[in-house]
Amino acid sequence: MTLLLVIFFAVVGSLNRGISEPIVKISVPDATGYAGKSSRIILDVEVKEGYHIQANKVKDEFLVPTTVDVATDKNIELGKPSFPVTKEFKLEGTNDFLDVYDGNFQITIPFKTQRGVKKGKYNLQARLRYQACDFKSCLFPKTIEFIIPLTIM
Amino acid sequence: MRYRIMLIIVLLLSVMFSIGQEDQYLIGRPAATFTLKAIDGKSYSLAEMKGTYVVLHFAATWCPFCNAEAPHLEELYKNYRDKNIQVFIVDVKEDKDLVEKSLARFKFSFPVLLDADGAVSASYAPEGVQPDLARDEVPLASNLILDKEGKIRFYSLLNSANFDAKLTQLKQKLDELLQMK
Repeated sequence: MTLLLVIFFAVVGSLNRGISEPIVKISVPDATGYAGKSSRIILDVEVKEGYHIQANKVKDEFLVPTTVDVATDKNIELGKPSFPVTKEFKLEGTNDFLDVYDGNFQITIPFKTQRGVKKGKYNLQARLRYQACDFKSCLFPKTIEFIIPLTIM
Repeated sequence: MRYRIMLIIVLLLSVMFSIGQEDQYLIGRPAATFTLKAIDGKSYSLAEMKGTYVVLHFAATWCPFCNAEAPHLEELYKNYRDKNIQVFIVDVKEDKDLVEKSLARFKFSFPVLLDADGAVSASYAPEGVQPDLARDEVPLASNLILDKEGKIRFYSLLNSANFDAKLTQLKQKLDELLQMK
């Protein structure tokens, strides 16, 4: 009987799972740059299973595109972030498709340092903005603030 | 032992069924009253709508499902406004200027209400549904019909797997209600 009750509560618990689990997670491997040379920062993004977020380029100007902003540093010249190929999400009952990202993907940010840059560790402030939906809900746009650790050799 | 196993199975099925029907327990209950300002500057009160069928749609300008339904809501209003039906969009937590700019393309001839702090939207979130979401997020993209006494007669939360952009089910229910009067 105890075992059956445990199974019962496990199943009920699993139906309500997901509380406080973030929809989008970012991890940033340490980036390395060399004085006066070009390199790139890679952001690993994970979208919770079942959800998608709008692409960087959206077909409807009022949708919220996924964007990355990195605070500038006078010694580091940042390029335009490069986003992955989008997936199409069909809006059932219409002829419309949304361009979205889901699962795991990478955003690449090229950068170049000044020749006379001071060598050492830099922490760049960054923000990822996105708007997520799953099959039952569309969530308010959100912004994640994070740090990009960068070592200049 | 067999009886206990049966009991557990019945309990499990009842929990799973109730989650599948999560928005349906509100049917027949009085809708939460509100007074909201519209983008036309006028105030609209649900209490003043007694005697009229009301269609409510919760929306945000960035919501793709809401935008897909928008032309069909306008069409619905045009086809039903002479049948004692009022349509309202309740825009949730957005700036008036943005809402005006975004919705101009749909040329709505019914009021678009501004739920600036999300309190009205939160009051329409079915209890216990999507507990991991903010309460004012839950009703986004959903449609309701309130009857002439202000009771909820239809409530469809977003279900993008069976997305009803053309509002077929809503219209069916409206027709049913109109035939009953």
